Amino acid sequence: MNAVELLGEVIEISHSNLEINSRISAILNIISHRMGFEEVLVFKLDKDRRISCSYYNQNCSLFSLVNKYRCHIGEGIIGTIAQKRVPQYFTYKDIPPRFGCIFYHELDGLIGRYRSFAFVPLSDDSYIYGVMAAISTVKGELNDREKILLSVIAREIGGLIRIEDLMVSSKKRISELVTLSELGKILTTNMEPEAALKNIVFIIAKALNASMSTIRLNNFSSRFNTQRFTYGQPDPKLERFIEDLETQAINTKKTVLLSNEMYGDDKDLSQYFLCSSPIITKNKAIGALTICSIKKDLVFDQSDNISYLITTIANYISSGLENILLSKRLKDVITELNDTQKRVIEQEKLKSLGEMTANIAHEIKNPLVIIGGFTKRLAKRMNLSQTENRYASIIINEVARLEKILNEVLDYVKDSPVSKEPCNINTCLDDILYLFSSDSSWERVKIVKNYDSELPEIICDIQQIKQVFINILVNSYEAMQGEGEITIRTEVVKIDNKSYIKVSISDTGGGIDPMAIDNIFNPFFTTKEKGTGLGLAISNKIIMNNKGKIEVENNVGKGVTFFVYLPLENNLSKEE
Amino acid sequence: MKDIKILIVDDEENIRILFKEELEEEGYKIDLASNGYEALEKIKKSPFDLVVLDIKMPGMDGIQTLNEIKKINKDQHVILCSAYGEFKQDFSSWISDAYVVKSADTEELKSTIKSILKA
Repeated sequence: MNAVELLGEVIEISHSNLEINSRISAILNIISHRMGFEEVLVFKLDKDRRISCSYYNQNCSLFSLVNKYRCHIGEGIIGTIAQKRVPQYFTYKDIPPRFGCIFYHELDGLIGRYRSFAFVPLSDDSYIYGVMAAISTVKGELNDREKILLSVIAREIGGLIRIEDLMVSSKKRISELVTLSELGKILTTNMEPEAALKNIVFIIAKALNASMSTIRLNNFSSRFNTQRFTYGQPDPKLERFIEDLETQAINTKKTVLLSNEMYGDDKDLSQYFLCSSPIITKNKAIGALTICSIKKDLVFDQSDNISYLITTIANYISSGLENILLSKRLKDVITELNDTQKRVIEQEKLKSLGEMTANIAHEIKNPLVIIGGFTKRLAKRMNLSQTENRYASIIINEVARLEKILNEVLDYVKDSPVSKEPCNINTCLDDILYLFSSDSSWERVKIVKNYDSELPEIICDIQQIKQVFINILVNSYEAMQGEGEITIRTEVVKIDNKSYIKVSISDTGGGIDPMAIDNIFNPFFTTKEKGTGLGLAISNKIIMNNKGKIEVENNVGKGVTFFVYLPLENNLSKEE
Repeated sequence: MKDIKILIVDDEENIRILFKEELEEEGYKIDLASNGYEALEKIKKSPFDLVVLDIKMPGMDGIQTLNEIKKINKDQHVILCSAYGEFKQDFSSWISDAYVVKSADTEELKSTIKSILKA
């Protein structure tokens, strides 16, 4: 055997374009054929720090016996080599009783055939990747050349395993990135939130090869009919843990894994993977993403820190979801605006139709009054026979009928009449004061409110009542020349066994000239240069129409108090 | 009974004639104006016990005329009279003594006049 030739072949294979596992198998075949080892096996150290047989030569008969076993570092010969990282060589005379984790007698009938054993660690300077076992039925004790050759080849195989590990981890990384990019695509489309969430759980389940992925949202938005979006089915044994885990994730705002403490003695559950990560927006956990699978089915095993990946995905969903909901809200607002616009146009159309009808009716009304009026006069003036009298009264009655129709049409089309509805006078006053408070010229007016918080509601036309209070307050403001104190008091009082709401508005404007006090409610009476003299007259009329009354108390030199009484009973006059 | 003078203001001639004849039968002395300006002229010249004022008129409408009348004489009795009650909600119509919807049946107008003059 030419060692240089052999090593040349090994290096050629090692640097070829073949798949890593084919390269390793080919190298093992070379060892088998060229060095005379019938059994050549490579035991690989996995991420869980357990050792199992991963590669073997073509005619290997031991693999089927050892492939099920995973031994720990330090366990048996294989484990010891992995621990000590020093090769060991045996003959059938001194081979120890444990080969990996298997006792010899389990390999009875086979092991007896073998004469020579070599166990070589697969390692580079810093890391152990596994152990190679080369076993022969013909060789005796190995010579130094063979030992060195095996060590050199073992180093080469170790290098290949390292490359394989790197490739696997970069593939996983790529797959992670692809998953995130797919999620990104969904989260940046204009998809409806429901559809987006359904797609998200699907993609996550597929990407992780999980049996189920589910997103639960906690009263997040009334928009969603369902608060849970799920793809796949959880393993029945895990179902009872899902909600607990989600709640825990939401409450702690941390990613949580199903742990031994949670499932207690049921060891069977250790084969499952269950992980829940909170979905957080604006520092508030609004839900959770939960992944459920059998551990060995998952694309990423646990040492890949899959919970970290799930946390990343959950974070990704959080920010994306916010965007989706924002754009959805925006869409809704735009739709609403469009609808409103349509309605406004519709109303405008109706309004102009109403105006047209009103105009026509109005134009018809005058001629009708004239026809009817003169027919009446005609009938009165002339001495009509019975028949002629009947004709005249037919005309008069028909005119009356037409007038009635016109009045009904006009009542219908004219602006809706003032509405009388229950209203709270305190709120009404506050609304007005709010208006004034936003006016900077009112800055130096101090308002003292002394409301009865239990004030009952009354039925009235709030717009008209507001007009009254505005008139009084503006008068006070002007009397005080924009500086002073206005006290507003509301209460319920009884006058002649009738209950009224009494509103008192006092100012510090120096009062009214006693000569003028009797005239203040008369139309066109004013003490102001630019006043119309209508404000209080109108106010008086409004309050009278509401079966109430206005009174004034004049403190010359101090100020004026207006008292507005509004009846509590719902017996307000109709405006006829 | 001393003469009671009523001014009827309406842009429609036949309405003026109708009201004039109907009210003259009641014993009132009637004067006519076909628009707000003419009405104001007449009121300035000689006082009236009552003005029956149409609202919808070209130029100065009844509400404006009403305001002007009240400036001349704030105690002037005025009845607003229009084809329908569209101005009933209008604050400015409230300073009139009454609001009557025009009708071929003049009884409402007559009784309103009576009650105002009696007061």
